[in-house]
Amino acid sequence: MNRRFLINSISVFTSVVITLLITIILLIFIGKNPLEVLALMIGDTLFSGYGFGQMLFKATSLMIVATGLAICFQAAIFNIGAEGNLYFGTFISNVIAVSFRNLSPLILIPYSIIAGMVASMLVALIPPFIKVKKGVSEVITTIMLNFVLIYIVNYFVLNFFAVKATVRMEKVDDSLMFMKLFNLWDFLKGSSVNILFFLGIFIALLAYFFLFKTKLGYEIRAVGLNETASKYMGINVNLIIYLVFLISGALSSIAGLNFVMGYKGYFEIGFSSNIGFTAIAVSLLAKNNPLGIIFSSLLFGFLDYGGLAINSLVPKEVMFVVQGIVILSIIAVDKIVNRIFVT
Amino acid sequence: MSTVIECQNIVKRFGNLIANDNISLKVNNNTVHCILGENGAGKTTLMKIFFGILQPDSGEIFIKNKKVRFRSARDAIDLGIGMLFQHFQLIDNFTVIENVILGREITKGIVIDIEKTRKLLKFYIDKYNLGLELDKVINELSIAEQQKVEILKLLYRDSEIMIFDEPTAVLSPYEVSHFFEVINSLKSAGKTIILITHKLSDVERVADYVTVLRRGKKVYETDRDKLNIDEVAKQIVGNIAINQTEQIERLNYNEGEIAIEINKLTLVDKGIKFLSNLDLKLYFGEIYGICGVEGNGQKEFVDIIMGLRKPTSGTINIKADGISLVPDDRLKKGMIKEFSIGENVLLRMKSGVLLTRTKSQRVADKIVIDYDIKVGGSDVAMASLSGGNQQKVIVAREIFIDNKILIFHHPTRGVDIIATEYIHSKIIEQKKLGKAIILISSELEELLKLSDRLGVIYKGSIIKEFEEKTIKTKNNFLIEKIGKLMIGIDE
Repeated sequence: MNRRFLINSISVFTSVVITLLITIILLIFIGKNPLEVLALMIGDTLFSGYGFGQMLFKATSLMIVATGLAICFQAAIFNIGAEGNLYFGTFISNVIAVSFRNLSPLILIPYSIIAGMVASMLVALIPPFIKVKKGVSEVITTIMLNFVLIYIVNYFVLNFFAVKATVRMEKVDDSLMFMKLFNLWDFLKGSSVNILFFLGIFIALLAYFFLFKTKLGYEIRAVGLNETASKYMGINVNLIIYLVFLISGALSSIAGLNFVMGYKGYFEIGFSSNIGFTAIAVSLLAKNNPLGIIFSSLLFGFLDYGGLAINSLVPKEVMFVVQGIVILSIIAVDKIVNRIFVT
Repeated sequence: MSTVIECQNIVKRFGNLIANDNISLKVNNNTVHCILGENGAGKTTLMKIFFGILQPDSGEIFIKNKKVRFRSARDAIDLGIGMLFQHFQLIDNFTVIENVILGREITKGIVIDIEKTRKLLKFYIDKYNLGLELDKVINELSIAEQQKVEILKLLYRDSEIMIFDEPTAVLSPYEVSHFFEVINSLKSAGKTIILITHKLSDVERVADYVTVLRRGKKVYETDRDKLNIDEVAKQIVGNIAINQTEQIERLNYNEGEIAIEINKLTLVDKGIKFLSNLDLKLYFGEIYGICGVEGNGQKEFVDIIMGLRKPTSGTINIKADGISLVPDDRLKKGMIKEFSIGENVLLRMKSGVLLTRTKSQRVADKIVIDYDIKVGGSDVAMASLSGGNQQKVIVAREIFIDNKILIFHHPTRGVDIIATEYIHSKIIEQKKLGKAIILISSELEELLKLSDRLGVIYKGSIIKEFEEKTIKTKNNFLIEKIGKLMIGIDE
């Protein structure tokens, strides 16, 4: 276990260095001074309270969605459907929150959160149902379901719920908003990071415990490693498939609240900005280990906000390129490091 | 007659298991040479060495009296060797012609010369009476036709020596006769054919030479003139050591309680009949042996009893909460090789919510000591254990979970002699505890040693049952009779 940890650390460290080198070359190539760009990026995120808070804010949603996906991936279920689940669940949460304004926040907060989770879990049951009954790959059904859900939600938002001449819904009551962390730590002033960040860390820790210390977690990983043997060992494989979809559905929905109840206060068309897809990379980067996801989501939060920070010097899309390079180099380096050390 | 391919003193080990133990073999030009043996006798390993997929640990191969060393199949193919595997290597969505030429296209400039290719393939199809349509897609073809596509591939690649790995196992009787016509026409065209089989009828029909392998050794060789099928059958099974002191007293099953009662069990899937009206009664305190050539419904039978498949018709009555199973394929069905011994055991247990390292280590320590498992540490992954030790862990686990009914499916396949003995003693121990045991095997020796009653399974039903008294005699007449029943001959 310790050796494993060491090997993984070596491979992550090496890939970060490689990514840094490639980024520098890229920046030189487009005629920028890499030192200037990197200094601005690091300074504005790691050494500015606001930037640091924004980095944590961006990491929060990724952490929660990626944890749910990691549980699916551990079961060898390649669930691409987080984006749709997140979009749908958050929409329902917002609908509940603005429809029952007269309820006390003590009831309305859990009600809207749970309603969103349940809605998201219900739609998340569709791909496993088709997979179990007809053997259709979840990759296809989840990708397609994303489109279906997103456009259905958009239809309802635009036709029934949108504030006039906008693409957003009504703002939820201030009493429903999550507490911002700058209330506790002044230096985060102005940033959107809220208590959901701590919930995210807690969820990741819990998921780690679940996957690696409970029997059910072992069963999930057993199904991912060898489905046939799992069946013969008495594990109900179909039940596991449903279960991991339910977990990921529920967590995706919570992640969307980071925006609605943690930041703007309302659902807005396109708010999710591909969190559900980026989280796939975040999870894979951490080798689907929830502890690693805490760090990989922070890295992606850093790149995400860092991209905005350097927008004055280079287009922020450069950071998308860097995100891609990180993933590619992790995959490549991991193979090489493993070949060297595991023989 | 000249030797076309020859091997000398081939040794091939997989861990503790010797798959080929000093085998020397000569195959004469333009003959059909049958290689026989039980499952795990080393036939396929030897052929893979001939085809360059496996490299021997020691020993030499000669082609036309010239020493060769194959680094890969490519080297063997270049010297005119072709192999038809049990599992076809075809791309389902490609047509016959696409599959055949793939990797070795006849070209005109940079495009495929389709006219020339067609002409050539048509010529082969007519000459050997293969009856294939070049433009049909593979998944529209029957298994027999797919096999012919594989043969066409060998012809297209100019193979002079053709190795067939159990080609008749997948064919119906009619298809088998047609297959042998093709074999004969290949032979008259000057090809050399090596045929791996465990069917004696195949040998009678086409063999010029016969070699029998048993437990990795060459034990018998003969040519057509001296061919004696009874002798071949005996050599395949081997001399069964009769050890009377080994006899273990058993509870009288007539007075014992019924553990499983199966009535007219039938399974039909996609038009194939796997089980047909299978009847079986299992009592507590006995070992019921099921003997048969692989592929006669044993796997499906196990799947149904374990509740993994639903029968088409028939009833099963099981008088136990759970059933322990040592499956036929330990890597695929028996374990999660990435997990440790303890984790594999705890995962199989019904109780428990947490699965911690302390817990799994405690279980592993117990099993490692009780079953004398050779292991670096009780925390290592199953994958790092030898095959025999992996099998011991699985046996240990299935006994540890303490079910009243146990099924052992090929419990000693690919396991060395010492571990085999050990596993046998554990099976007997369980019987003495009054458990009901089903032992499915294709090793007659094992079955006769352990079984209290013995059923022969053929085409999905138990066609004959032998009682304790008969089994105890273990005479050659009985062995011959069972051998014949296994291939469906009931006299």
